[in-house]
This record gives sequence, C-alpha cells and structure tokens, in this order.
Amino acid sequence: MILIEYGGALLRGLGITLWVSCLALILAAVVGALIGIARTSKFMSLRVAATAYTEFFRSLPTLVMLFFVFYGLTAAFNINLSPFVAATIALGLEGSALMSEVVRGGLQSVGKGQKEAALSSGMPVWQVELYVVWPQAIRVMLPPAVGVYVSTLKGSALASSIGFVELMQTGLLVRERVQNDYDGFTVLIAVAVIYTIVNYAISQAGAHIERKSNYAQ
Amino acid sequence: MYDFYLPDVYPYLHKLPAALWVTIEISILATLLSSIMGVFLAIMRRSDSKVLRGVSTTYVEVIRNMPLVVLLYLIFLGLPAFGIVFSGYVSGLIALTLNSAAFMTEIFRAGLIAVPSGQFEAAQSQGMSRVTVYRYVILPQVLRTSYAPYGNQVIGVVMGSSIMMIATIEEVTAWMYNTGAVTYRYFEVFVVAGIVYLIVCQMANVARIMIGKALFKSAAAGGKW
Amino acid sequence: MPNNLKSPNDAAAQDEPILKVEGLVKRFGDTTVIKELSFEVQPGQVVVLVGPSGTGKSTFLRCVNGLEDIQGGKIIFEGEEVKARHSNITAIRRRIGMIFQNFNLYPHLTAVENVTLAPVKVLKESPESAKERAMELFRKVRLEHRATAYPGEMSGGEQQRVAIARALAMNPALMMFDEPTSALDPETVGDVLAVMEELAAEGRTMLVVTHEMAFADHVGDRMLFMDGGYVVEDGPPSELLNNPKNDRTRQFVNSVLKPEAAMKGTADSSEVPPNIAAR
Repeated sequence: MILIEYGGALLRGLGITLWVSCLALILAAVVGALIGIARTSKFMSLRVAATAYTEFFRSLPTLVMLFFVFYGLTAAFNINLSPFVAATIALGLEGSALMSEVVRGGLQSVGKGQKEAALSSGMPVWQVELYVVWPQAIRVMLPPAVGVYVSTLKGSALASSIGFVELMQTGLLVRERVQNDYDGFTVLIAVAVIYTIVNYAISQAGAHIERKSNYAQ
Repeated sequence: MYDFYLPDVYPYLHKLPAALWVTIEISILATLLSSIMGVFLAIMRRSDSKVLRGVSTTYVEVIRNMPLVVLLYLIFLGLPAFGIVFSGYVSGLIALTLNSAAFMTEIFRAGLIAVPSGQFEAAQSQGMSRVTVYRYVILPQVLRTSYAPYGNQVIGVVMGSSIMMIATIEEVTAWMYNTGAVTYRYFEVFVVAGIVYLIVCQMANVARIMIGKALFKSAAAGGKW
Repeated sequence: MPNNLKSPNDAAAQDEPILKVEGLVKRFGDTTVIKELSFEVQPGQVVVLVGPSGTGKSTFLRCVNGLEDIQGGKIIFEGEEVKARHSNITAIRRRIGMIFQNFNLYPHLTAVENVTLAPVKVLKESPESAKERAMELFRKVRLEHRATAYPGEMSGGEQQRVAIARALAMNPALMMFDEPTSALDPETVGDVLAVMEELAAEGRTMLVVTHEMAFADHVGDRMLFMDGGYVVEDGPPSELLNNPKNDRTRQFVNSVLKPEAAMKGTADSSEVPPNIAAR
C-alpha cells in the first residue's frame, strides 16, 4: 500500500507546511498590526499609505508574490534566499494585508465611549490602548486571525512552485516516483485530505473561539 | 544598487494583452459558473431534505479547506489515471469554478439567513410557489446583502486564476514567470505584472461600486429599498 | 484639596470657583454648537444643566473633560486651563469624574476590575487597597453582591451605578453626569438617582445634564437652562421651574413637566416636538 510507504514523508511535509505558515503568520501579525494601527490613525497621510499597502498586497496573487520574493529579490539585491525564507516572506506579506484588515476591524469594534471613559479617568493614551482598547479588540480579532492562518496555510501549498518541499511538493515528488497512475492519484488525494482535515480542524477551533467570545459578551 | 532596466522586457510586452485576456476570460467564466453553483448549493443548504443539506455542507467544508492548487493538481494530474483528461484550460476552469462555488455558497447562504423568515411566510401565504418566492421576494433581498462580499470573491477568483499557469495556461502570472526566466529581469516583470493585477482589481472595485450604485439607487433615495 | 488659594478679600464670601467657563465657543465644522458660554461652579454646588436636545449640554461636559477641542474662550478647572491637546489634560481628568449616558463600562473586566483599573494604573494604588476601596464604593452604590459580575450580565441601572463607583474611585473634585438615566429602563432610574442624591448630600461638586426635572428640583442648587448654544436662564431650580422668566424656558418647562406622555418612555430623549409642547 502506497500510503504506508510514503505516509511518513507526507506527514513530514505537513509539519513543514504548518511550520512555514506559522512563521509567516507571525510576520503577518507584526506587519499587519502596524498597518492596521496606521489605518485607524488620525493622520490622513498614514491612513492613505496604509490603505494603499493593504490594497496593493490584496491585489497580488500569492504565486506572484512567491515568484517576486524568490526570483525578483534575489535578482534585484543579489541576495540568496532559500525557498523556505522566500516562502515565509511572501506568505507573510500576503497575510499582512489580511491581518491589517483584521486589526483595523478589531480596533474599530471597540466603541468610542470606551476610549473616552478611560481617558476621562485620567489614563494616558498608552494605558488606554493597553488596558482598555486592545484587550477588547484582540477578542474580536482572534476568529478572523484564525481565518488568516487557514488562508496562509492554503497559500503555502503554492510554495511548491518555487521548489519548497512542503506537503504539496512532497506529494508531487512522491507521485513522480511511484510511476503507477492510480498510486499517483492516491497520493494526490491523500495530500488533499490532509489539507482539508487540518484546515477544517483549525477553522472549527476558530469558530469555537468565536462562539465563546460571543457568549462572554 | 540594483539597476532597474525595463527595456529588456519590452520585446515580450506584446504577449501581455493576450495573457491578460486569458486572466480576465477565465475569471469571468469561473465567476459566472461558480455563481450559478453557489445559488443552488445555498438553496440546497436550506432544503428540508437532510441529504441535500448534508451534500451542500460537505461540499463547502471540503472545498473551502482545500488549497486551490491541490484541487487543480487532482484534476490536471490525478484524473487522467481514470482516463479523464481535460486540457489545461478546462482543468483550470473546473478547479477555479469548484473552488469559488464553495465561497459563493457561503456568501449566498449568509444573504439568505439575513432575509427574515417572515418574508418566506408572507410570500407563501399569498399562494406563491417556492420558485416564485425565491425569484421575486428572496433573491432580490439576498442580492443586496451578498453584493459586497460577492465583489470580494470576484477579486478572489482573479487572484486564484494566477495559479492556472501550473496547468500550462498562458495568463499574466505565466507571462511574468516566463518572461522573467528568459530575460532574467524578474524584478521588472514583477512590477509590470503587479501593476496589471492592481489595475484589474481596482477596475473590478470601481465596477462593483458603480453597479452597486445603479442597482441600489432606490435605497439611497430613502427607505430600505 | 480642591483649592488652596483663597482670595483675601472675598466679597461673595465664597471659595474660588472650582470651574470657571469664560466665553466658551464650540464648533463642529460649520455648525456652532456652543455660541457663548460663561458661568462658574463653586465647590459643593450641584449644578443642573437642562434644555432641549442638541443644545450643546453634553458637548459642554466633553469640553470640560478635554474630550473635545474648543474654538474660543476658556475653561478653567481648579485654576488650571483645560486644553484638549495640552499635556496636563490627563492630570486634570484624574480630578474630574465623568458618568456617561451609555455607562461605557469596560466589557472585558468585572465590575470591581472596572473600578480598580484607573486607581491602580493611574494613581499607582496597590491592587489590594484599591479593591478594598472599591468594595466600600460598591456598598455605597448598593452593589456589593455584583462585584464580580461582568457588565454584560448587569442591568443598565446596575451598570450605571458601577460607573459612578468607578468615577468615585478616583476621588474626583468634580463629578460630571451626562444624562446618566437616559439610557435606563424606567424601573432602574430610581436607584441611580438615589445614589446621586446621596453624593450631593455629601457635599460633592456635581455638574449634571439631565431631563429628570423632579430630581433637578430636589437635588440641584442651581439650574442652567441652555438653548441654542447659550445659557438662557440661570437660577435656583424652583425659580426656573415655577417662575421662568424667559419664554423659551417656559416653553421647555411646560413641555417636560405638563404632558404626562413626555415624562414616560420618550421623556428621556426630551425631544418633545413643539406642537406637543404648545398643547
């Protein structure tokens, strides 16, 4: 049975997929938070710049980003990025546009009155943000942030096209090795099933968080 | 500092319009087909039959959680094992449509949920058939709530169409990759392709806003409709 | 210590005003909400601001708290000028308690955490002593049994009393109430007004925007009737309510006091159409 022989390799691929999308998500969260904050800024120029950033990266297909970081940056700045690093950066930048929307939505969900109440109790702005605005905003951000992770994870399958050996690429390599068409199909199905189950589980966890935070409200 | 040199790319620019047209064409086709699928799947989701509901739910959950490129490989590389061979273009279109349909279903479903159940009841109490109820009472209201997320999904289809190059389709991303590979001007081709995608998406956005204004003009004039 | 500078020749035999407003102007874009506002509040006074909706009463409170920029005039609190963008604003806000129409309790914190947050973070009180004091305040507002509840689990009246406790926890020199009962179910209004009455009896300085005329009459030392961005009439509440000198005051008083309907349900919005008022 083909899956017994190559199951381990596929699971290793899954591990790499999860790892690269985790790193990309962290990058996306950091950059996305900055952009998201800029999007709620009272300075028009910051808002415009941040919105342009979001619109730009949202209008670029993940595959284009991957090619750009892997081939384009390499060529332009004469740096040598491994497929792993390139995938992390490309997926992270893609995700940062989505995250900036999530952060903006979360921050805007906190009513103006909350800020005013905290200000009127004499808190400096940083305390208002730290103790009143962000704790509330993060609850709102969590479920859609899980969505960003799922979308990053799905996008990571495209990293196979820059030769990054994650789950998808592992599947393709195994498929090439097995010769037999049916076995090849089985491998592809296995890859599809793994992605679906993992993403489904993560999505369900996100939905669970959402239900819980709704209940607490 | 990097020497940005666009002229190397000029000899290949003449291929770009054709590539752009492929991107646009496949996006439009996939949008239309997946919209139709989405409507049916969304209505199935509300059916009294447990089987129909289950089929729809399963479809959405499976497809939504499967990367588009995996779906494409299944169709393009996997199905031939059973003697089912599609051209690259058809494989890409099928994958894009099946993928988008799951998201369309969710969008329409959310729109359906937003219609108060009193609307079904009121229409049915006047003796309208199910089809009439949907066509004249429900869908117009769904259209309104679903409109904005629908626009986002159209952009999502354009984004998704970029992976069609994997099925050897010469669209914009393929143009970028191939031109980069021969000129080694990856940075420049990225800028060109990026601008093209940006324009396509912004045009879709503008179209969405304009069509929206025309469709829902009466809403702005006052009242809910 | 609200003020240590007693003027040597105090003719009015009163303390320095705790709050002094001189020719205040507030505009939102082209709309001037407050055209010219001047008055003083003495320590211990309960000043009630009344008037039709949209005449800048709430906006005025927000200006005092530096939540809004002002376009003209001066607001002086305890001898210090209040400016929304000045760095002393947080220090001034500590000394002013603000009660909002919609409570604005922090939904992610329990009642007691709502009360202790600012004392601990701003005044650097120890969490233990802040909590102890919070419990005292909860007894005062008769909510000791609700201390660990979240705002979402409380009635509006309970939330507003937590908000009062939250403001009191900073030991403010001035308490401002912005329509504190307008968003409440009628049956919970009384509890909140009772607490406010107690605070007034303790001699706290209060500035109250309200449509509760009975409360204003009963508790207020002074009533300002605002309309069209000006103070139209200023005097003891009984005077304004029973013997208004200005036509507009009379019209407003009639509209709020006479028709029973205006006191019920929609009374809180106070937006009584003129045709009803004229009846």
